[in-house]
Amino acid sequence: MCLGIPGKVTEVYPNEGLAMGMVDFGGVRREVCLAYVADEVDAGDYVVVHVGFAISRVDEEEARRTFQLLQELGQTDELDWMREMAEQSLAGMDDAADAREGESAGGTA
Amino acid sequence: MKYLSEYRDPQLARTLVDRILATASRPRVLMEVCGGQTHTIVRQGLQELLRDAVEMIHGPGCPVCVTPLEQIDRALHLAARPEIIFTSFGDMLRVPGSDSDLFQVRAAGGDVRVVYSPLDALAIARRNPDREVVFFAVGFETTAPANAMAVWQARELGVGNFSVLVSHVTVPPAIEAILDSPDNRVEGFLAAGHVCTVMGWREYEPLAARYGVPIVVTGFEPVDILEGIYMAVRQLEEGRAEVENQYARSVRREGNEPAQELVSQVFRLVDRAWRGVGEIPASGLGLREEFTAFDAERKFELQDIRATEPEDCMAGAVLRGRIKPIECPAFGSACTPESPLGAPMVSSEGACAAYYNYARFQLKPTGDPA
Amino acid sequence: MTDGSAGARPGAASEGVARIAAAGLSCPAPAGPASRVLLGHGSGGKLSAALLRERFLPRFANDILSALGDAAIVDVPGSQVAVSTDTFVVSPLEFPGGNIGHLAVHGTVNDLAMMGASPLCLAAGFILEEGLPFDVLDRVLDAMADASAAAGVPVVTGDTKVVERGKADGMFINTTGIGRLEEQFRPAPDRARPGDAVIISGPIGRHGIAIMAAREDLRFEVELESDTANLVPLVRLLHEACGDSVHCLRDPTRGGVASALNEIAAASGVGVELEEEALPVPVPVRAACEVLGLDPLYVANEGILVAIVDPELALEAVAVLRDHPGGAGAARIGFVSGDRPGLVSLRTGLGSRRVVDMLPGDQLPRIC
Repeated sequence: MCLGIPGKVTEVYPNEGLAMGMVDFGGVRREVCLAYVADEVDAGDYVVVHVGFAISRVDEEEARRTFQLLQELGQTDELDWMREMAEQSLAGMDDAADAREGESAGGTA
Repeated sequence: MKYLSEYRDPQLARTLVDRILATASRPRVLMEVCGGQTHTIVRQGLQELLRDAVEMIHGPGCPVCVTPLEQIDRALHLAARPEIIFTSFGDMLRVPGSDSDLFQVRAAGGDVRVVYSPLDALAIARRNPDREVVFFAVGFETTAPANAMAVWQARELGVGNFSVLVSHVTVPPAIEAILDSPDNRVEGFLAAGHVCTVMGWREYEPLAARYGVPIVVTGFEPVDILEGIYMAVRQLEEGRAEVENQYARSVRREGNEPAQELVSQVFRLVDRAWRGVGEIPASGLGLREEFTAFDAERKFELQDIRATEPEDCMAGAVLRGRIKPIECPAFGSACTPESPLGAPMVSSEGACAAYYNYARFQLKPTGDPA
Repeated sequence: MTDGSAGARPGAASEGVARIAAAGLSCPAPAGPASRVLLGHGSGGKLSAALLRERFLPRFANDILSALGDAAIVDVPGSQVAVSTDTFVVSPLEFPGGNIGHLAVHGTVNDLAMMGASPLCLAAGFILEEGLPFDVLDRVLDAMADASAAAGVPVVTGDTKVVERGKADGMFINTTGIGRLEEQFRPAPDRARPGDAVIISGPIGRHGIAIMAAREDLRFEVELESDTANLVPLVRLLHEACGDSVHCLRDPTRGGVASALNEIAAASGVGVELEEEALPVPVPVRAACEVLGLDPLYVANEGILVAIVDPELALEAVAVLRDHPGGAGAARIGFVSGDRPGLVSLRTGLGSRRVVDMLPGDQLPRIC
């Protein structure tokens, strides 16, 4: 019942007073009622379709923006990881340097 | 498929899972109220990935499941009448009534037809002027604009042999009922993305404020749901209780106003009984007086068809999120999709069906021997 | 009850209901068991299996039948033959990529091939509906003649009946085939072994979606054709390359790949584990499944086979299939495991696992 799928509008035409259109869902085509998005939709736009009706126009700018944020989230994780690795190796080098100092100082600690 | 496949990207999903696990300072309890989201969660094994950080409780997000027994029986009665072509969405066909279901009615000779869109049902009515065509108008607010348009067009075009049997429910009262419940454990909600595409999210703002719970309007793909969960958990950690919108590519705060307009012209708010939950005031839609001619309940005198719902019911406990389907003693034994005891086991959006079809054995990964 | 095991024990159902009653709870009244044939009984899923098990098998009980292979192995003095029968009731009769005639020949020829048999001949019985236009009948018969000639499997006998308008939806066709067996090549549903590779010969879901698109009621268009094809050439290639290391062959018709694998898992007492990312699903099939809310694993196929092969020869098997035009898109999609016998599961792209059950009742009536 929640099944709403995004598809691309390929044609727009009126039929018996209703705005209708052909929508292409990745190669599957079906006639869809565009009455609820008529003012904002043209051929080439993407719409979300539920039981044969377009209920929204896909806001491509919004989609791009949030997708970019998501991908940055992933990259930030990588940057964090790299920073941790760098810090750990620096710490390792410091320990090694301390150890060498200790040896040359002749202690048993 | 554009705007679909990207939201299934495993890399993004894993990133979000990691973020959620890192952000939750203690186990969090969230509820989704949408059968489509429930199915994605169970089918994609999201709960398995979230481990103990987040517990997803499945709310009454299945309009098929919450359709009262009485309404199903009325549908079965209509479908059995020789002069009626009974049309419906596919997932209603196996829902059990008091002693039968639409498949069995069809086997006994009833003219029962599955349609994808309510406009297809209207077209059947126009092609069969000597028969009565009834459409089973079930759904949340997502489907109301489509059903409203079918009734509206029927009146515009003078299609007198078309009527609808209405069983529409609305989401916010259900969320309120869950929050009002004394043993409620839910700390935050994912709101149904397509319900909100139509209705917007204005009506959720007072709920978030009054009950102090974050509500995130969320889509349906794994990345959408994980992002919605992440946003809710972050709110909880930061002590916020706001309405946020994860599904921004489809949802705006005001929703789809032309759709809301037509729905309010054709339907009005009514009290509705939710199967397994009980009566919730102002939680349903009924046809307005001007459209009585298209109301199957009035047209066909169905008032004498009554059914008694059992007082307490496991299906209800599942629908309210009290128990997981797997905790019902009948799950998988007395109650299976082939012989269902209740609607959640049959409807494509029911929690029980989701668990049975995808998760009924605890699966551990085994190594690939090659 | 937390292990979630589905009660297959006798009495589990009534125990469950008794427990509910004892707790003072009750469920919405159950619909009683069906007293008539339902469309779901023909879908190739659990209802079909139950119908067979409860009503047909007890009456025709014999060892040959209860092996439930795609074809029956019958002793003939001096050798063995394979026998298979299938009835075709597809609606509409004609669809993108073919017609009921193609299915009628390929379907039975393929069933013989799945048991390792070389098809020898076919018998064909027709039930024609009064009013069927001759040009439709001719196109169907032409298709059968062409398919039969191309496969080298003659239709050697037949029968035709006509019934009144409304009693046969155009036409129904039954074909029965006989095939010759070889001692050393005996794929069978009970021969899958832990470690075996699960291989598919091509992309899934084309036939079922093409049929759905050809139906008036759902009103969608898609550029897809049925994959109906004679699988004997592919089976011969596998035979030559892998011999007896081909443990099972199955053509996943109604009920789809999921049902075929569930049947093998049950017959062999093994588990099957699939990789979602490895499944070859053409974009239009995926799109149609999204729009209609279907799972490609349950959609019918008429021109691909599932092969369960010894892991040593898995790469070889995929390679020889891909060399043939009918095997383009062949892929390894999973493996057989010793854990959880009878269960088919799938690892999602996200790394989680879920069960792939047998189709409960029905996805589409009359698709083959």
